[in-house]
Amino acid sequence: MENRNPLSPHIQIYRWHISSLVSISHRITGIINIVATTLICIWASSLILGDTNYDFINLFLTSIFGKFIAIGLAWSFSFQILSETRHLLMDMGYGFELQTTRITGLVVIFGSVLLTILIYLIGRNFI
Amino acid sequence: MNLATKKWIFLKISSIILLPLMVWFIFNFIAIYDQSYEEVLKFFSNSTTKFLFSLFIVFAYFFSSLSISEVFEDYISNDKIKNVANRLLFLSAIIIPLLTIISLFNLN
Repeated sequence: MENRNPLSPHIQIYRWHISSLVSISHRITGIINIVATTLICIWASSLILGDTNYDFINLFLTSIFGKFIAIGLAWSFSFQILSETRHLLMDMGYGFELQTTRITGLVVIFGSVLLTILIYLIGRNFI
Repeated sequence: MNLATKKWIFLKISSIILLPLMVWFIFNFIAIYDQSYEEVLKFFSNSTTKFLFSLFIVFAYFFSSLSISEVFEDYISNDKIKNVANRLLFLSAIIIPLLTIISLFNLN
């Protein structure tokens, strides 16, 4: 049977709001996270090949680019954690008022930056 | 219960389980990503790490495959392309975690 479900209208026709920005960022960070998780699976599996094969990976991870990727991943995870928590609260019926959706959207955006800094400082034993 | 409702419930249960595992993993990843082979091996050889990392990747792929299939539902109109994309997605969500867990449990 032919599927007659409507497709989502193209995102360009909507005026941008905090909620739409959080929603599209949630999808983008979700895709980034699963691609990153795949690379992490390859990284963890590569350990079985021994330390001589690990040199190239280590060279990349200890470079400035490696640090950029690690911090970027910490932000992407932070965004997903806060945004998914916001979704779960909305699923329980909280935070549907227009003003509340704006505030929680801003909490996700700015909170993800703060959480990234916190993860980095704790992860690197700075605090 | 229809299929969409079941999918939504599985999505929510997996996200509740995934959230603390993401927090655990990202703190540890930042701590070890640029360490030596011996340090990274020590981390992944630990039995608690093996257990939590296995759970993390199983739920991450389960959650992602359900989420991404929703994106396919929203943006792909051709049913044949959508079916092939969904099958590839579900297949990779089984194979990648399975191979990683096998490798992980063979680490000494």
